Amino acid sequence: MRVLVVEDEKKTASFVRKALQAESFAVDVVANGADALAAAASTPFDAIVLDIMLPGRDGLSVLRQLRERKNTTPVLLLSARGEVNERVEGLNAGADDYLPKPFELAELVARVRALTRRGGENKPIVLRVADLSLDTVTHKAQRSGTEIELTAREYRLLEFLMRSAGRPCGRMMILEKVWDYDFDPGTNLVDVYVRRLREKIDADFEPKLLHTVRGSGYVLKETP
Amino acid sequence: MKIRTRLTWWYAGILIVSLLVMGVGTFQEISEQLRHDHRNRPEGHALDEAGEMIFQVGLPAVILGLLSGWWLTRRALAPVSKLTDAVEKIHEKNLGEKIPRTNNGDELDRLTEVFNTMTARLDNSFQRIREFTLHASHELKTPLTILCGEIETALRDESLSQSERERLLSQLDEVRRLSKIVDGLTLLAKADAGQIALKLEPLRFDELVRDNFADAQILAEPQHIQVELTTCEEISVRGDRHRLRQLLLNLADNAVKYNQPDGRVTMSLRRTDNFAEFKIASTGAGIPPEILSRVFDRFFRGDPAHENTIEGCGLGLSIAQWIVSAHNGTVQIESVPSKLTTVTVCLPLDTAAKPT
Repeated sequence: MRVLVVEDEKKTASFVRKALQAESFAVDVVANGADALAAAASTPFDAIVLDIMLPGRDGLSVLRQLRERKNTTPVLLLSARGEVNERVEGLNAGADDYLPKPFELAELVARVRALTRRGGENKPIVLRVADLSLDTVTHKAQRSGTEIELTAREYRLLEFLMRSAGRPCGRMMILEKVWDYDFDPGTNLVDVYVRRLREKIDADFEPKLLHTVRGSGYVLKETP
Repeated sequence: MKIRTRLTWWYAGILIVSLLVMGVGTFQEISEQLRHDHRNRPEGHALDEAGEMIFQVGLPAVILGLLSGWWLTRRALAPVSKLTDAVEKIHEKNLGEKIPRTNNGDELDRLTEVFNTMTARLDNSFQRIREFTLHASHELKTPLTILCGEIETALRDESLSQSERERLLSQLDEVRRLSKIVDGLTLLAKADAGQIALKLEPLRFDELVRDNFADAQILAEPQHIQVELTTCEEISVRGDRHRLRQLLLNLADNAVKYNQPDGRVTMSLRRTDNFAEFKIASTGAGIPPEILSRVFDRFFRGDPAHENTIEGCGLGLSIAQWIVSAHNGTVQIESVPSKLTTVTVCLPLDTAAKPT
């Protein structure tokens, strides 16, 4: 997997590169729009992390140019302005995801991972992690043959975590995908829901599947 | 006393004095003439004639004078009351608007002009403060991103000792708190500058309330707080879905956070006249009356004792208030300390929606 990072702020670019490399992505970094377009034209990337505020040509115009050139590489926009309108504008311009600054590195990595997997995978009807299964049609969950009752919200949370099984999911990302919140509500809603879900799917069973990733969020996987 | 009344009284006084002077003059003139013409006539006749003359000519003149005087001052002072009305309407938000001028170059027109220049200067200063806050919050974002990223990168180092890790995690928590504050500040600064456009659409407010009720129950569970939704009438409003959800969650979160263990939260949504009235009442310490009016102020923390135990950015209620006023609604808070604190939000009904 190869990712292009377009970011003019050197320090930010540097830790984004390190974090993505740690997740075994190959990372190219450029600092302006023109270089970004040139790089994207010569190399097929699996994803592009694009800062909106760039010297000269801004991120949104780079994105439009890319899409005009029929380049469909998934793009994650980064922005310091962080405004609902801008998010909509970005998504309309052809971005696949949007992350306002200041962001958490784990969140960024999780999103890039999600982008690089997008579309490539077939979506199974029954999701499985170890002996936990979730039927996405009947919304029924089972663990070791025992049926588990879920509320609508718990179902959405579990479905999201299972679809991203093995990848840590940040709180913002969970709020966005499970609650449709595009703002940070400043509550511990996610933590409380995860605790409840954990009681249902993990309390009476071994091994534990739902783990807390300190400092970043949650992950559903067999081994801690 | 109004200037108008005062001027009218003075004017009346002057008229009466001049009438008296006129009367005395007339009397002397007439009696002089009578003495010359008919020496046999008695003195009293002159007085009668003079009185009659004053009565017949003077009185209507005085009344006419008074009336026209009253009209004159009224006319002269009308621009003043107009100016007063216009100035009364000025507040922080509409400083940019100008008071219309007569352009006739009189003193009052000049006064209006001076007023306009003054409000323009004030507007400019407010604008600069708003821009400053906006720029400040933007400028903080890049270093915060870097700080957060650097700490997260450092945390990836496997060789860290447990205590080093703890220290870094605690720093990360503070950086996140700071990020939340900056986020809130940016939002409010933008709202002040009128840079946030709401995405208004007709929506079922009761559905949002029910949704929020479910979240509130979950939020309240760890402290064994009971959450009830007593009434939830079917109500449509025109609003921005995200913002209204943010508002409801914010209020629910406060109702839980500032509650007591085994406390209660009661929500209701009903229709009153032309409004959707959402009430959320919670038990807990409550808010002393002397600070009740300030709870919507930015960064205002009621109880210093709670400052560090309750997490939050101190902007929640200010944001809630902005969301409500952006929807042309009102928000009120009442509190009986150590009993019940009630927040009431009224949003205008969606008039286009069919009544059900």
